[in-house]
Amino acid sequence: MNILFKEIHELWLATQFTGFMSQTKSRQELYEFSNIIFKHLTWIENDFVKKDIAYGYDIPQVPIKVTHISVMINDLIRRIEAIEEKLSSCDDEHITFRMKSDLEYITSILKTLPEEEVESAFDSNRAYPNIELTTTARDALTVFLFEEIYKEYELILVYNYSKANSNNAFLNRIFQILIDESFFHLRSFGQMMADMGILSVPRSLMEEIYKFDDLEQFLKDGIEEEKGAKEECKKLAQAVSDSSEHFASFFMFINNQENYHIALMEEALAYINKK
Amino acid sequence: MNGEEHLIEHMMNPQNYGNLPEHNSIGMGKNPQNGEKVAIYLKVVEKEGEPFIEDINFQAIGCSTTIVAGSIITSEAKGITFSRAEELISVTIGMLDNVPPEDAACSEMVALGLKASLDTYRERQKDPQFPMISYHISNDCTPQEQENQEIEEKR
Repeated sequence: MNILFKEIHELWLATQFTGFMSQTKSRQELYEFSNIIFKHLTWIENDFVKKDIAYGYDIPQVPIKVTHISVMINDLIRRIEAIEEKLSSCDDEHITFRMKSDLEYITSILKTLPEEEVESAFDSNRAYPNIELTTTARDALTVFLFEEIYKEYELILVYNYSKANSNNAFLNRIFQILIDESFFHLRSFGQMMADMGILSVPRSLMEEIYKFDDLEQFLKDGIEEEKGAKEECKKLAQAVSDSSEHFASFFMFINNQENYHIALMEEALAYINKK
Repeated sequence: MNGEEHLIEHMMNPQNYGNLPEHNSIGMGKNPQNGEKVAIYLKVVEKEGEPFIEDINFQAIGCSTTIVAGSIITSEAKGITFSRAEELISVTIGMLDNVPPEDAACSEMVALGLKASLDTYRERQKDPQFPMISYHISNDCTPQEQENQEIEEKR
């Protein structure tokens, strides 16, 4: 079942990142499918927790560098077939039935998606369509996107792990909001990376990042990191303001969103301390 | 491929990243200031009486610069003897004076992780239960601009 879990994790990322490559309506389909597959991951995870089975998020790098989207679509179908063959390793028949049904439907739609050339998502051109970036702005944006796409992936998994391993409804509500927020950011940054020709899947997480003992310290560190991210967004907004009003306002928007994340983490921290 | 493209390529596709299940040595480079760390996994074989790095991987809690440094240094270290690896470590550390402090800290962390892994292997030849060795970096990771700002704030 651990292999099944890893393969679902890889399929989730492969589907999400294929969505970033697409410039057509397929993008939305792939986003929805990645949501469903992420849900599958959480179902298996909850089953692990119920049965007290050790698990982790360590996976090999997911290769995505292709010239045509059909190569990725065929890869997704192949990955789904491999998962279907292993579904029997999950002995919860309700989960197995739901997953099988979802995966059959996803496969049927994947087979209908149109061909697209996607070379530009990987050409390292670092030019943003219709926007003239200075060298400083371009370099700052490049580093920011590499740092932040990893950070958002990390946060999704950290909060997901915390949620799966906690029965506290108050904290789980906060963790779920933070997961949803990180999904939004991951998608914003992933699309920008594809537009700039630097799309890549984040590296896997070291176990100690999500298997921590001290939630209070994790939240304190998280608040400091969010404050740091706010500063980065402000700097970036300034760096790109001459090149693009649109970018500048986008980064100010992200900067202000971090306030909400900080407020949520402070709420969780206050709750822990009160307890 | 020019230098800039080369770096982007390492950021997009870091080489040798991840756990190495068949490793027989591990070492850690750490930055005690901010908790960043690099683990270096080695699969070592003995060749003509000298330890030889047959395979190498790394994992890190750190920034993109650390990942690029890890990708480059582990690529250089794959398929060389321990004595060549020691040279690689000294050359890397010797070059750090010429790079910005925050970048120097990242490269030093990787080089020390490799050094720690070589030393762990040597110790385990004498005592197979010898624990993993960790070394702390000496470079400061705080960017100069931020450091100046912090000094201003303290005033």
